[in-house]
Amino acid sequence: MASINYAFKEISCKIVYYGPGLSGKTTNLQYVHQKIPPQTRGDLISLATDQDRTLYFDFLPVNIGKVHGFSTKFQLYTVPGQVYYNATRKLVLRGVDGLVFVADSQKSKMDENLESYQNLLDNLAEYGYNLDKLPLVLQYNKRDLTPIISLEELQKALNPHQFPYYEAVAIRGVGVFDTLKCISKMVLDQAKRKQLFPHKEVEEKDSNLSLIIPSRIPSGEPIADVTGSTSPAEGIPDTTVTAVAEEEPISAEEKILPEPETIPEESKPEVELKIKEMTEENQERMEMPIAATSPTIISWSAGKKARSKGFFLWRFLGRIFNR
Amino acid sequence: MRQDDLVIYEEQIEDIERTLKRLIKDAQAKCVLLVDKDGHLITRQGFTQSLDTTALAALLAGSFASTREIARLVGEPEFSVLFHQGKKDHIHITLVGERTILAVIFDDRTTIGMIRLYAKEVAENLNQILSAEKQEENQSKNELETEVDTEFSASVETRLDDIFSDKY
Repeated sequence: MASINYAFKEISCKIVYYGPGLSGKTTNLQYVHQKIPPQTRGDLISLATDQDRTLYFDFLPVNIGKVHGFSTKFQLYTVPGQVYYNATRKLVLRGVDGLVFVADSQKSKMDENLESYQNLLDNLAEYGYNLDKLPLVLQYNKRDLTPIISLEELQKALNPHQFPYYEAVAIRGVGVFDTLKCISKMVLDQAKRKQLFPHKEVEEKDSNLSLIIPSRIPSGEPIADVTGSTSPAEGIPDTTVTAVAEEEPISAEEKILPEPETIPEESKPEVELKIKEMTEENQERMEMPIAATSPTIISWSAGKKARSKGFFLWRFLGRIFNR
Repeated sequence: MRQDDLVIYEEQIEDIERTLKRLIKDAQAKCVLLVDKDGHLITRQGFTQSLDTTALAALLAGSFASTREIARLVGEPEFSVLFHQGKKDHIHITLVGERTILAVIFDDRTTIGMIRLYAKEVAENLNQILSAEKQEENQSKNELETEVDTEFSASVETRLDDIFSDKY
């Protein structure tokens, strides 16, 4: 089920691609990973066998930015399709918010489609879920091959409840985004119906691209929407973390930082960073979350950065020798 | 159908973060992650900047889920503690209540005994903080379903059209 964090104004939903083996579930995720803007997604993680067959799951985190003032994230999962991986397949279904059933349109695959669909219903039932309330979209994949099952037959066999469906050729991207958009919309509508989103759109503190840094920045706040973009080279020495870890808790209001929205790469250097109350102490804190987590916004002059790094080194060595 | 979305409120996150910071300080850990069993990251503390915490959360939840199945197969209800030992860094995973897991990443500056001791204590505190919310608004919210307004629908559609398209 969805996870909602009112402190960070985040909502995270889980979408699972289900279906028989080799029907194109992983291909769907690979296409999405390849085509959406890099700053909106993390790395695609595949737990696969040596033959590139999904063993446990594939995982792709996507951040679509703010909806009603809430940073909205989808976690896209696939399941292993082969029949004998049912134990792990069932685990991936836990906490699902929306399902995509990827069916193979080839004539020889009809039995496998039906078996997988039945398996889906069985596994959902074990968790106590049912399809009356759980959003589901069907994708009839491999429509470019021959011989294929007609749309009417597929609908009759797999879609008696008249869920939305799309024809697709996932390997070329046909129908991939249509399917994803449809299920995402259904999942968010469901969240809205359950009143997980606020009634009114939350006003954003600062809607333009300038980033105003609060005088204090919490250490562990997940401001990195797509953490996969973080580079270890931009990390900070351990000493800073220790300093931050000892901080007193701070008020929730101070924690709200503007989101790294979908800002085109080329606009980054022009965005100015406004700094309030730049003391030595908070200079140290500032480096950490921003440098490490900015797929976005920061233009920081080279001179200042160099001085800042010198400052770090000095502090770091000082601490070592003081021990 | 289960209606238990995980809802975290501002007051809770303050308490959780305070608890996690204390854990890092007391046990000399590098960082800690609090993860929903479904794979959603709730919060994190410490030196997490070089980590892909979103993926880590999903994988930790996956690892925990598969271990639970292994436990079931050998006749245990659940393994409540997991420990992964590496060359430099190690991970200690503790079950917190029914649906969250606490992962502590640490190195040789501290010991597994210290981590176990403090993680157990912190898990109990976190469970209290997290379960406080359950009885309150969560239930009533899930029971009352409302219609989706057109403004919301439009806003969602614009977002999705922007991101999920072949134009990039």
